[in-house]
Amino acid sequence: MDKKTKVTVFIVDDNKVFTLALKSEIEVAFKDMCRIEVEAFETGEACMKKFKEEKPQIAILDYHLNSKNPDAADGIQILDMIKKANADTNVIMLTSDDNIDIALKSFHHEASDYVVKTETKFRKINYSLFNLIKITEARNETKTYKNVNFILAVFLALVVGAVIAVTIIKPSLLK
Amino acid sequence: MITDRSGKLIENVCDLKYLTEMMGGKKHLIKGIMDSFLTQIPEELQSINDAIVKVDYGVIKNFSHTMKSSVSIMGVSMLIPVLREMEALAASAMNIEKIKELNQELTLICHLAIEEVQRDKEKFI
Repeated sequence: MDKKTKVTVFIVDDNKVFTLALKSEIEVAFKDMCRIEVEAFETGEACMKKFKEEKPQIAILDYHLNSKNPDAADGIQILDMIKKANADTNVIMLTSDDNIDIALKSFHHEASDYVVKTETKFRKINYSLFNLIKITEARNETKTYKNVNFILAVFLALVVGAVIAVTIIKPSLLK
Repeated sequence: MITDRSGKLIENVCDLKYLTEMMGGKKHLIKGIMDSFLTQIPEELQSINDAIVKVDYGVIKNFSHTMKSSVSIMGVSMLIPVLREMEALAASAMNIEKIKELNQELTLICHLAIEEVQRDKEKFI
């Protein structure tokens, strides 16, 4: 990956110590891979305000977003909002519960990955992030190839069309 | 100096090795996280205390849960079983007396951790 490629990551977790540590850790770990920009939010609502402007490639979302503020939306509700606003954003769901139901629920709501907050959480998040960056990069390359192929096909069609038109209208030009 | 649950003497409650490694030794990042810890932990303890007075199991459960992340970053591993037990008791909405007892242990260790972080922060300026 080109070091100039910009990757925007949103972190949503109501624990400031955790988000600050994760943000710093990601910036340190990926600084040689790409131009990573990480923004942290304490609530899903604050994240969604900025989400529509920036459309980040990746969002890291805590499942328990309403532990401090019971009125705040939970992780699954924010996951749905994110997917509705931009289906291309990959979401890594975080939770402290090693619970298969939460994992399945996250995947049913189109999360790309699910990480349990154990002692190795930062390593697991980085691994997941690395994979998602690679997938995003591959998707962008495919999109670029498709666009180039489309432009070439249109150009070729125009040339063939022009040759046919000239053959019909003024065949002497081709002699 | 205090003892852990197995009776072993503990000199320091925090282990900043993990945080230092994770931040690649970058002092300003470590200091930022320490500052955030020093602000957040007293607020979280206060919220748990208030919830115990009101016997609000939901709030006790939520804050015990979120504190696990904060303390693990500072390497206060001896608090993890305490917080787990508090969270489990609060989730089943029972035994407020045991929760009070665990909260005393939590408060004591958190205050020691705060003192240590305040002292160690000087090294990261």
